[in-house]
Amino acid sequence: MTGAEPTTEMSGRYQRAFTVAVVVLVAGWHLAGGGGQLLHNRADYSSFAFQGVLWLVMAVAIAVGAVRVLRGSLDWRLAWTVAIIALVASTASAAASPAGQMLAVSWAWGSAGWIGVLVLHRRRLAELAWFLAAEAAAILGVQAWDGLDRMDLAAFLALLAWSTGAQIAVAAAVKALDSAASRADTAARGEEAARERAATAEIIQAARHARWLALQESTVPLVAELAAGTADPGDPQLQVRCAVQAARLRRLMAEGDELPSSLVHELHASADVAELRGVAVEIETAGMLPQVPGPARRVITDAAIAILTAARSQARITLATVAAGIAVSFVADTGSVVLLPAAGQGVAFEHQQDGGMLWAEARWNNR
Amino acid sequence: MEQQVTVAIIEDHPVVTEGVASWIRSDPEQRVLLVHTARDLAGLHGEARPSADVVILDLELSGELVTAQIPGLVASGYRVVAFSGHSDPTIVMDTLDNGAHAYVSKEEGSDHLVEAVLAAAADRPYVTRSQARAMLSDQRPGRPELSQQELQALLLWFQGMSKASVGRRMSISENTVRQYISRARAKYAATGRIAPSKDALLARAIEDGVIKPGEIMPYTSFARAAANHPSLGAPGQ
Repeated sequence: MTGAEPTTEMSGRYQRAFTVAVVVLVAGWHLAGGGGQLLHNRADYSSFAFQGVLWLVMAVAIAVGAVRVLRGSLDWRLAWTVAIIALVASTASAAASPAGQMLAVSWAWGSAGWIGVLVLHRRRLAELAWFLAAEAAAILGVQAWDGLDRMDLAAFLALLAWSTGAQIAVAAAVKALDSAASRADTAARGEEAARERAATAEIIQAARHARWLALQESTVPLVAELAAGTADPGDPQLQVRCAVQAARLRRLMAEGDELPSSLVHELHASADVAELRGVAVEIETAGMLPQVPGPARRVITDAAIAILTAARSQARITLATVAAGIAVSFVADTGSVVLLPAAGQGVAFEHQQDGGMLWAEARWNNR
Repeated sequence: MEQQVTVAIIEDHPVVTEGVASWIRSDPEQRVLLVHTARDLAGLHGEARPSADVVILDLELSGELVTAQIPGLVASGYRVVAFSGHSDPTIVMDTLDNGAHAYVSKEEGSDHLVEAVLAAAADRPYVTRSQARAMLSDQRPGRPELSQQELQALLLWFQGMSKASVGRRMSISENTVRQYISRARAKYAATGRIAPSKDALLARAIEDGVIKPGEIMPYTSFARAAANHPSLGAPGQ
C-alpha cells in the first residue's frame, strides 16, 4: 500500500471491521444461542440426530458465507444459495419438532435469520426483509399445519418481533455506518482536491506574473520605442533586438506545459524565429532526458536565443543525458563570439570558437 | 590510383539512387565505382548475384524495414552500409547489430556516404553522428563498456563539432579522436549477434592498433574472427 488514497483505505478498514462484527455476532448466535437451545431441549425432539445434522448444515453455511463475505467475493447467487439452504434447514427443523411445542423448542429460526443477515447485509435492505418474511411465513405455515391457536399465534408474534427486529436492526446499523464512513471519505478527498487546486492555481498565478514581468523588462520598451517612432526599423541592431524578443515571446507561449520533453519543446519554439530567417536548425536528442526545472530551462533557452540570433545559416542543437544531468550543446556559424547569459540555476556554460563556428555547451546538474 | 571500390545501391526511390550516384561521381579521386542498382534485394541472392564490395542499402524498401535481411547479405560476402531516413537510435543499433558496417542518415549522406563506403570496403570503423547518437543512447544490458574518453569524444562528435575541434576541446590530436571513436565502434562489433562483417571489422581494428585484443569484452569474438571467413577477410590478407 502506497497510501496514495489514505482516506479510501480508512473507510475500507471501517467497513471491514463492521463485517467482522457481523460474522462474530452470527457465529456466536449459532453456537451459543441456537446450539445452547438445541442441547437444552435435546430430550424433546423426536430425532435429536436429525436436528444435530441440520445444525451442522447451518454451521457449514455460516462458515462458507463468512469466508466469502470477509474476502469480498460473495456474489448474489452464492448469497441467495446460502440463504435458501438456511431457510430450508430451519423449515425442516420446525417440521421435525414435536407438534404443539415447536415454537418453544425451535433453535433454527433464529440461526436462519442471522445467516440471512450475514450473507445479505451488504445488499439492499429489501432483500433481507423478503428473506426474513419468507422465513417467518414458513414457520407460521408449519405451525398452522400443526394447529394454530391464540397462544401459538401470540408466541409466534413475540418471537417474530424479537428475532426479526434484532436482525433488521443490525443490518440497518451496518448500512448506516458504511454510508457514514464513505461520506467522511468523500469529504476528506474533496478537501484534499480543493487544497491541491488552490496550490496549482497559486503556481500558475506566479508563473504568469513572472512572464508578465519578463515582458515588462524587455519587450514592452521595444514596442514602445517602435510605436513612438524613436527606434529606426532599418537599424540592424534594432532588428536583432526584435528577433530576440520575438523568440522570447514564442518561448513564453511554449513554457508552462510540464512534459518530460518540455526543454526540447521550448528549444523548438526558440528556434522558430531563426528558421524564419532562413537558418537551418537541427535539434537532436540522445538518451532518456531528465526533467529540467523551469528556471534552469529558461537559462538554457536564453542561451539558445542568443546563439540562434547570431547564427548565419546553420545551427545544431543537441540534448544528451550525461552522468548527473543533461548537456545541451549548440554548434552554429555565428562568425564571432556570442555573449552567453550568466550561469545559474544549476546551469554552467562552456564554449569554444573555431574559426567562424561556435560550440557552446550548457550543462545542468541535478545535484 | 588504388583499385576502385565497387558498390551496389539498393533503393526503392529512383531519385535517391540518382542522388547517391551523383555523390559517387563527384568524388574528385573517383575512388568508388557504381556497378549495380536495384529497387529490391531479390537480385543479390543466388549464383548470378553481382559482384560488389559494398552494398548501400536503404533500410525501408517498399514500406518494409529490411534490417533482418542484413545478415543474409553479409553471409553472401557483401559489406553493408545502411542509408536511411530513419534515425531512431534503436533502429540504428539493430542495423549495426545485424552486421552493417556503418549507418548514414539521409541528412548525413552528402558528407559521409562515400567515406563510409570506403571505410566499409577496408573493414575500418566509420561512425556518423547518428551512430554516435545511438551509442550514447544505448541502455541495453549487453552494451559494451566505453571509457570516459571514448564517451566524451562520441558526445562532442554527436554535438556537431569537427574532429579537429573535438581534439582541441579534449587537448588531444585529431588522430586520437578518431582512435577513441573507432575503438568505441569496435567494442560494439564485439557484442551482440555474431556476424563475419563484425569479426572482420574487429580483426582490422586490432591490426590497425585501434584496440587491443584484451579490451574486447567477449574475447572469443576475435578467436572466431581468426577462424577464417574467406569472403570477408581484411584486404591484403
